[in-house]
Amino acid sequence: MTKRYVGKNTLKIDAESKVTGQAQYPSDLKFDNCLHIKIKRATYPHAILKDLDISGAKKIDGVVDIITAKDFPDLNTFGLIIKDQEVLIKIGEKMKFMGDALAIVIAETEEIALKARNKIRVEIEKLEVITDPLRAIEKDAPAIHEDFSGLCTDYLEPNLNQKNILADHYLKKGDVKKGFREADLIVENEYRTQHIDQLPLQNESGYALYDDKKDEIKIWAASQWLHDTQADVAQSINMSKEKIRIIQTAIGGAFGKKEDVSVHIHLALAALHTKRPVKLVYTREESMIAQSKRHPLIIKAKTGVSSNGYLTAWSVEVIGDTGAYASSGPAVVHKGMYHCTGPYNVENIEGTSYAVYTNNTYGGAMRGFGTTQMAFAYESQMDILAHELNIDPAQFRYQNAYITGSVTPNGQKLGKSVNTKRTIESVIDLAKWEGEINK
Amino acid sequence: MKINLTVNGEKREVEVKPQTRLLDLLREDLDLTGTKEGCGKGECGACTVIMNNELVASCLVLAIQADQSEIITIEGLNCQDELHPIQKAFINKGAVQCGFCIPGMIMSSKQLLDENINPTEAEIKRGLSGNICRCTGYVKIIDAVKEAAHKMKSRGEDDD
Repeated sequence: MTKRYVGKNTLKIDAESKVTGQAQYPSDLKFDNCLHIKIKRATYPHAILKDLDISGAKKIDGVVDIITAKDFPDLNTFGLIIKDQEVLIKIGEKMKFMGDALAIVIAETEEIALKARNKIRVEIEKLEVITDPLRAIEKDAPAIHEDFSGLCTDYLEPNLNQKNILADHYLKKGDVKKGFREADLIVENEYRTQHIDQLPLQNESGYALYDDKKDEIKIWAASQWLHDTQADVAQSINMSKEKIRIIQTAIGGAFGKKEDVSVHIHLALAALHTKRPVKLVYTREESMIAQSKRHPLIIKAKTGVSSNGYLTAWSVEVIGDTGAYASSGPAVVHKGMYHCTGPYNVENIEGTSYAVYTNNTYGGAMRGFGTTQMAFAYESQMDILAHELNIDPAQFRYQNAYITGSVTPNGQKLGKSVNTKRTIESVIDLAKWEGEINK
Repeated sequence: MKINLTVNGEKREVEVKPQTRLLDLLREDLDLTGTKEGCGKGECGACTVIMNNELVASCLVLAIQADQSEIITIEGLNCQDELHPIQKAFINKGAVQCGFCIPGMIMSSKQLLDENINPTEAEIKRGLSGNICRCTGYVKIIDAVKEAAHKMKSRGEDDD
């Protein structure tokens, strides 16, 4: 077989359009007679929307219309895995984080849209704001999604407030009790990671256009899950998928952040409502408030090791702050748990993980999908253990590292391309590490 | 109010508002959308252009401040339909991924190499320190600037 591409340097097909500035990202497109959108968002992270007064804003010259939930009473909720997110918050319902949309302001210019948005009066009844997942799982904490029925398994501790637990997972390999009995040293620690924004350089932005002859909505936006987004937009506004066309522009970075719906549904509604081209570009602040983050995880790790430096048992509890909505949360905490031991051999493992609703900006996908947070915990454990055992930390990692035939926590036998040891050797070399490893 | 400026060698007269930014003037009024907006706060460098032989974040320059100025944007770089050596090097070295930072990155590289055709790696890093890239990790971008410097230098010597 001839090697056409593998092992050869192939120039990126769109690089020339990007170095000349000709590549078109969503906000680079131009439409005649285009209207501009700004979104009025929640004024408090957890509150009941009592009243929304758009009358003053509507009077401003150049405001074309302001859409609220009242204009589209039959909208369905949307979401990547679980459809728990409202397109627009209705009067009498709750805003659950600062990114929730209350109104879509449509105007002849962006400046007018912004002015009108600031004129919208919002009346709310404040509720307890839950920013700590450990508070959310206390029995007396208010349910963030009141009608959420819970998806918890029997493995989860019954004393937790399951109304705020989105999903849980359980992991078992070998006999963890036996593993800890065999250990000469056991180290137990709790690690916490923080929200991180993926920060793609291009903010969420796009255009939409309604074609009344075909009864079709076209949306130009950068999306990571093009067809899932198409299906989600369609179901949320009760149109068939064939009537929603999403045209992928150049994508100015995403790193997981553009897996979720952002501008799409609001654009679709505005196009449908006005029958004119509409444009919506998030500011950086808006992108940070309204779109996903890397999940902050609380990781409780307990590791057993023999006196000669071999791992015997590992148990882990992972609590993920999924924020106000599910997004990728159920999958991120699942994958994170499976990576609890990193690239190290452990015979006996037990783990639980769960994603918890809070009033923070929701957690979603980001480079590594739960594994990078875990790396902070397991590599810290490895360093602490090596120090306690008085073994060189490189040697300690090396002698526990995966090799061909190693079995991961979820039972996968690694068949090929297992380069952990080679990686450690390279790191020792590049870092000019002074310790020596015994191969 | 009306302002006059030269953009990519062409004299332009543009009607602007007091709050119009140079970035808006380029993108909206002159349709030069190669210059990007990433943050609107002068932090990311996606909107970098050259104004009177100096790098500026065009989101922090008011259009009226650009009256009588000379501006070069990414669209002004390829002369007679041939790519600039910096543009070629960015393609050849695989320095372009999502591409959103690239116009600003290339303008900063041009300014750097116009001032110093022999930059050290540290000088390249300093020259590009106002431009954020979230995809590449910068390694290949730095490689590209090195290659461009090499090509521009040998081209300069050929001319002599």
